[in-house]
Amino acid sequence: MARYAMLIDLRKCVGCQACAVACDKEWDVPLGFARTHVQPTGVVGSFPKLASGFHVAHCNQCERPSCVAACPTGATHQSPDGIVRIDRGLCIGCGYCVEACPYDARYINPVINQADKCDFCAARLQRGLQPACVATCTAHAKYFGDLEDSNGEVFRMVYERGARRLQTAQVAVGPNVYYLGKKQDVDLVFAKFPPRAPRMAASSEFWSRLLKPLVLAAVGATFLGQAVAFFYQLATGEPDHESQEKT
Amino acid sequence: MGVKVTRREFVKLSAGAGAALGVGRALAGEAPPRPGWRGSQRVEQIATNCEMCFWRCGILAEVADGKVVRITGNPDHPLTHGRLCGRGNAGTELLYDPDRLKYPLLRTGKRGEGKFERITWERALDYFAKRLSELKAQYGPESVALFPHGVASAFFGTLMKAYGSPNHAEPSFAQCRGPRDVGYALTFGRDLGSPEPLDLEQAKLIVLIGSHIGENVFTSQVTAFAEALSRGAKLIVVDPRFSTSAAKADWWLPIRPGTDIALLLAWMNVLIAENGYDEEYIEKYASGFPELQAHVRGFTPEWAEAITELPAADIRETARAMAEAKPAVLLHPGRHTSWYGDDTQRARAMAILTALTGSWGRRGGIFLPTAFKTGKLSLPPFPKSQRGRADGAGTRFPFASEEQGVTNGLVDATLTGKPYPIKGWIIYGQNVLESIPQRQRTLAVMEQLDFIAVVDLMPMEQINYADLVLPEATYLERYDLPHIVTGARRPFLAVRQPAVEPLHESKPGWWIAKEMARRLGLEAYFPWKTPDEHLQALIEPMGINADLLRTRGAVAFEGRPYLEDRLPEDGPLFPTASGKIELHSSSLKEAGFDPLPRYTPVANPPIGYFRLLDGRTPLHSFARTQNNSLLDSLTAENELWINARAAHDLGLRDSQRVVLENQDGVKSLPIKLRATEGIRRDCVYMVHGFGNTSKQLRRAYGRGASDTGLMTRVQVDPIMGGTGMRVNFVRVLRGEG
Repeated sequence: MARYAMLIDLRKCVGCQACAVACDKEWDVPLGFARTHVQPTGVVGSFPKLASGFHVAHCNQCERPSCVAACPTGATHQSPDGIVRIDRGLCIGCGYCVEACPYDARYINPVINQADKCDFCAARLQRGLQPACVATCTAHAKYFGDLEDSNGEVFRMVYERGARRLQTAQVAVGPNVYYLGKKQDVDLVFAKFPPRAPRMAASSEFWSRLLKPLVLAAVGATFLGQAVAFFYQLATGEPDHESQEKT
Repeated sequence: MGVKVTRREFVKLSAGAGAALGVGRALAGEAPPRPGWRGSQRVEQIATNCEMCFWRCGILAEVADGKVVRITGNPDHPLTHGRLCGRGNAGTELLYDPDRLKYPLLRTGKRGEGKFERITWERALDYFAKRLSELKAQYGPESVALFPHGVASAFFGTLMKAYGSPNHAEPSFAQCRGPRDVGYALTFGRDLGSPEPLDLEQAKLIVLIGSHIGENVFTSQVTAFAEALSRGAKLIVVDPRFSTSAAKADWWLPIRPGTDIALLLAWMNVLIAENGYDEEYIEKYASGFPELQAHVRGFTPEWAEAITELPAADIRETARAMAEAKPAVLLHPGRHTSWYGDDTQRARAMAILTALTGSWGRRGGIFLPTAFKTGKLSLPPFPKSQRGRADGAGTRFPFASEEQGVTNGLVDATLTGKPYPIKGWIIYGQNVLESIPQRQRTLAVMEQLDFIAVVDLMPMEQINYADLVLPEATYLERYDLPHIVTGARRPFLAVRQPAVEPLHESKPGWWIAKEMARRLGLEAYFPWKTPDEHLQALIEPMGINADLLRTRGAVAFEGRPYLEDRLPEDGPLFPTASGKIELHSSSLKEAGFDPLPRYTPVANPPIGYFRLLDGRTPLHSFARTQNNSLLDSLTAENELWINARAAHDLGLRDSQRVVLENQDGVKSLPIKLRATEGIRRDCVYMVHGFGNTSKQLRRAYGRGASDTGLMTRVQVDPIMGGTGMRVNFVRVLRGEG
């Protein structure tokens, strides 16, 4: 099974935000929201001994995701390939996951009233494409790959060139996004953008226990509806995009 | 003589020709489809090139249900390989911008008032022809001047020449690249053009003087720059501001603004004094070395320290780094180079330094262009103007490009009526109030003109002064001449073709120019029915399959970018008068200019004032993109960079809004302050293109401040007419706005 990871080479990143715009266009992210964004550290130090850099931020697809624990319906879940996904049929837009994410990588999409975030462009991966941000990156600073593949570029960059993950002793959630660069540059970005403690709603576990069975029942009902739609589609011959061959 | 197609290209192209497409179909009809996906949406990809800026990266416009749903990079493009910047990704928002110019407009109110009547194309073009015929009859054809900018400029240029006017000028010369291109052409016999032919990938040392790669984004240049750094190339950044590039530099030299020539002379001094220059290269290829050696003898790092405020030790150390890395030293020639009025001489100094490190035509330096043969349309000869140009190119400004012209020279001529009256302006794709400094002067001139026609995409403020406003189709809705690039590792030809039909009543530039010509009886100069026919004529002798070219978007050829690769057919290595690199320029001397560059002292700002510097941001191009909803959502305004201690002394806080007032009392719109250690105390900096004054641009209107508005003074470069614009000083006023 794959274990997907992203790597950002801060030596190369120039903060141009092509990644952010490409992501917005790939996923129809509403204006003012983001699945990925670029944050400048600002200039630090005293003239002329200065430093500055950029933090490229999106969901870290954590190994121990606090959002999954916070989700009362099971909509947010972790796939075997490590990608944390949101099941559109289950998300009720309660926003607990948004509070729980130590990286503020989630938002409530006002168009669909559901949580949304980066999923490494899972739909593109299925078609053999790179995530949109990786493909467009003007500085070729983003790399995507499988950490189980010891011949892969990302594997080598992570394990042989000493890429680092943005986490702290307090927030050790096992992010699958890695950063490479001069030590002082990575240090600066990490110091400016540390993960925060997850804000878990006091009663989220309670809600989780209460809601999950209810939602499953609701899903049963929804499934019936989908089945009807499916047969309708068969009857009318509307193409099922997912089943077509990738190009 | 045929072109050299690389084997791989040849196999691909001819396999396509033989197999799927059939040879006979070659140039007719549609490109073979290129299917793709966006999320779970099936799309058709149209290969074309971008025009969110003028780098013209390869793109795929993805169409579903007759709409462009997304734009992505074209992996088959030989220069950009599928990568695309934020602006390119946001091109759909230009296409579907609700504020676009939608139909022809005829002025009904007073000039500047912005009152128009919607009219038909028929009426608009007839009116245009009538006015141009009247102007020709009354004042002669030279009385009409063209201000073009953009890819379809060529069509309007042809129209003007056919009409009989030699007067056309793009801001890309006198307000941008002109000084550089003239300075390098005087030295090496060739200019640099765009995209710049830089072998960044193989550079061991990159030197940037004012260039702020990263904030200034040209996709392939950023890619190559980042790859070079990642590979361990060293970086010297000369900039009064701690730019994105400066943060990546091994040496950041925060130079006193305007003193770059002093630094360059000191670098030459060290390279020559310590024998660190490429002696063999200079011996073989250059002339005028003894004069140069004598000239720079006194320009020691200590001499330069007093002028540049850079430590002599740093100057020496960076010069030694160049000596060590030569010839793989990429001294970036810059792009926007009209700064102080001695800019051609600064470019000369940079060109000479490039020669001393032996980098022109060498790995890790500057590529030589590789021309390839294309077909040509035969046009009737253009009428020769009896009165010559009005902008001073070739006369008042002896080294100005007659191909590109001097915008400010045309403004001068219109204002003074000398050498003869100019009565009509045609503005195509250029925003004359933002591109040309001394805005008040341009406005005054526009008030007094007999006739102004604007062809544009967006309702920039200038339309309010126009008699006739014609809506152009965007780059996603039109054909254009192909992009032909010779100054690259692999020269290439890339096509521009529409992804969708023009929206509203907009029309492609080629159609507008051709229809104007027809009405003026000049249709012989447009001997093609469709641009497709034009493309066919261009590629006919190249033996490439047009269908496959349209599907892939581009075709590349083998280049000969280094001196050692050159063939006799490439012509002389250095097409100067002497056939050598001219370190000492006799052409300049004969015209009465310094044959070797000298530092001309710059004034310090008056007390309480800062020198105003300007630059770029990755998500906007000039003043063209500020109304784009997606780009606006990420970068809505510009900020004023000011030294944190200077701000503190003035009692100013970070993030507060201030108003700037220049030396002539002209004020800016309010702008947000960025108090930072990352800039010297004697200057302030803002990104160009904001502070829009057009109410019809509903997003961009009033956001941030305009640097151009504060440029009431210029220092004109006597060699080529460029407007040095960093000669304005501002003070910071608070509590207003």
